[in-house]
Amino acid sequence: MKNVLFGASVAALMSGAAMADTAVLTNYANIAAAKFEDSVITAKALNSAVDALIAEPTEVNLAAAKAAWLAARVPYQQTEVYRFGNAIVDDWEGKVNAWPLDEGLIDYVDASYGGASDENPLGVANVIVNPTLMVNGVAVDATNITPEFLADTLHEADEVEANVATGYHAIEFLLWGQDLNGTGFGAGARPASDYAAGEACTGDNCDRRAAYLKAATDLLVSDLEWMAAQWAEGGDARADVLKDETAGLSAILTGMGSLSYGEQAGERMRLGLMLNDPEEEHDCFSDNTHNSHFYDGLGIQNVYLGSYTRIDGTTVSGASVSDLVAAKDADLDVEMQSKLTATMMALGAIKVAAEAGFSYDMMLEAGNAGGEALIMGGVNGLVDQTKSIERVVTTLGLGDIAVEGSDSLDNPDAVFE
Amino acid sequence: MIRMILLSVAVGLGLGAKSEAQSVDLGARVAAAVEGHIVPGYARFAQSARELSDVAKDQCVPSDDGLQTAFHLAFDDWVQVSHLRFGPSEADNRAFALAFWPDTRGKTPKALAGLIAKKAPAGLDVEEMMQQSIAAQGFYALEFLLFDPQIMMMGEASYRCALVRNLAEGIAIRAEAIHLEWADGYGAAMMSPAEEGPYRTAEEAAGELVKAVATGLQFTDEARLARPLGTFEKPRPKRAEARRSGRSLRHVVLSLEATGDLAVILAGETSAGQRVATGFATALSNAEIEDPVFAGVADPIGRLKVESLQQYVYGLREEAVGELVDLLGVSIGFNALDGD
Repeated sequence: MKNVLFGASVAALMSGAAMADTAVLTNYANIAAAKFEDSVITAKALNSAVDALIAEPTEVNLAAAKAAWLAARVPYQQTEVYRFGNAIVDDWEGKVNAWPLDEGLIDYVDASYGGASDENPLGVANVIVNPTLMVNGVAVDATNITPEFLADTLHEADEVEANVATGYHAIEFLLWGQDLNGTGFGAGARPASDYAAGEACTGDNCDRRAAYLKAATDLLVSDLEWMAAQWAEGGDARADVLKDETAGLSAILTGMGSLSYGEQAGERMRLGLMLNDPEEEHDCFSDNTHNSHFYDGLGIQNVYLGSYTRIDGTTVSGASVSDLVAAKDADLDVEMQSKLTATMMALGAIKVAAEAGFSYDMMLEAGNAGGEALIMGGVNGLVDQTKSIERVVTTLGLGDIAVEGSDSLDNPDAVFE
Repeated sequence: MIRMILLSVAVGLGLGAKSEAQSVDLGARVAAAVEGHIVPGYARFAQSARELSDVAKDQCVPSDDGLQTAFHLAFDDWVQVSHLRFGPSEADNRAFALAFWPDTRGKTPKALAGLIAKKAPAGLDVEEMMQQSIAAQGFYALEFLLFDPQIMMMGEASYRCALVRNLAEGIAIRAEAIHLEWADGYGAAMMSPAEEGPYRTAEEAAGELVKAVATGLQFTDEARLARPLGTFEKPRPKRAEARRSGRSLRHVVLSLEATGDLAVILAGETSAGQRVATGFATALSNAEIEDPVFAGVADPIGRLKVESLQQYVYGLREEAVGELVDLLGVSIGFNALDGD
């Protein structure tokens, strides 16, 4: 096997490879375009399901909207590997996937949620009940809950990141409601009658709740459409990646490494486990966290391998980072591939257990050894693969892609100046 | 599928730094850092953490001078090793349980109030307490018990006393465990890279240490300074680290001293080393401000001083770390702050 790969690399070396890196970058952009387009398609399906729920607020229609939301997460989570390396994605990402959120900003919450805090005076502002909000001492008119109001006024109001007014998790809260089961089994249990007209309305202000849900879903679709266009032929994100071969490859590996280590293994998985806190679950209202982690991991793997299976079953594939690494150091490519596979096995074990009834919030319970072992399996896989990603960076001669810290986020080109 | 190779990159980058690095004995620099910085730093921390626990066994009243002094000394020693977030500090999540901050959602007071209100049995037993949420453990939780006007009066004094003792003992146990692992194997593994060890080459080991300098500086810049600064319109003095015990500025100074010490050891007797030392000294001289908890960030003049300090720390992240990377020819990869 190694000999075959080595032979191939020599052949490539002799055939002249100046065009080759562009092929890897082009395929990376093609996969991004497909992932974001799939995210648009599934968000539009969610939007239709939301329309049906609002028109006819039955439990069946609520269940259909929830199913559409879960489906929409599958392609979207696989795009997260495009964060961290691509400034255009980072600057935009907070609109669609900001987390964690102080949901009391949006709608009613249980008394156990607490009140406003030092960190967030708007933590229980409840815009669905209150047509006027006080933000930093100024009255804000919230009579009309429109996409523009959510995006420009309510989102991150008072400069507090936990004031998440838009995106998947705001919609998730409006569909599921709070998960009050702690580390016990069960997700949020919002009744469909929270969207009912007249006397049947539960939770008050059903019309405003419906307006919020519709505005947030419309906004999700338009935000995703914008990002899909950035990766399509002629889009800015594609142009940025293709502009410089070294910077483009660096963006790919920065995304893989930062998502693996600081974000997923650290912030999302290990920290939540150590806090034993179900609020730290990524998809906490819907209990979909096992899938959120699994598809993040899959996104990292499919970017390395340069092959993505779309939601209609077709594949987008081509020249890959794996090819580049194999040509320079076949052993390292084998190492990288096996580490990615090991992580997917570990994340798969979490998914399997959750789908069989041992949900992610149960795994977070203090002293639950089985849950801790499952989650730490995923964490260890991600940490371990990060070491190999660093070796890939060194082997491809990409230098210190993370040395500039936030610069690699804000201005990837500056890293190579 | 066609296989490809990255010609331009392989030739264009990396080789320059490598040839410069040939004059530096990487193994010797790593050994100097392990033996002159890391192991002694953890030895000091293990000792003062044990003393804190011993004092707490005698005296658990928050206002006790001896207890407060022991708390400050142990916390000082922790901050001076807190940039070394790899290997033994990460095993069993020890560093996370020693130092849960920033606490952006107020989990520490919430978790402590929950334990105190329920008189949770876990608070009465060290081992069980060490299994609880990290928000209720370590230095930042202990600070609430000793210095927060609400928490220090909440519930029953005897229960709070048990919490103080058990948190202090948990800190001591973890400090000793980290020190022991460094002295008993991890230090040697770092100094003798091997295919099956945590580091395959001296470059990987040295890269880890440069990353520790970079990460420590990044944390000081983006958490210790940026959080209280907030924005000009919305300064956030209540977000200053350990403000209840008056330690916010002190942490910046201690951390600059510690990361500077490591950086200078790594650079060795070189012109780059002199520039690195000068850079840290300049930053430290700009930390001589009379605002221990950054309360002045809301005042234009007070704010300017903290912003200026932040600029110097940012400068070190660029220049001192850049010098080390070039001099040692290493790659520092990813750190825990890479997420959002």
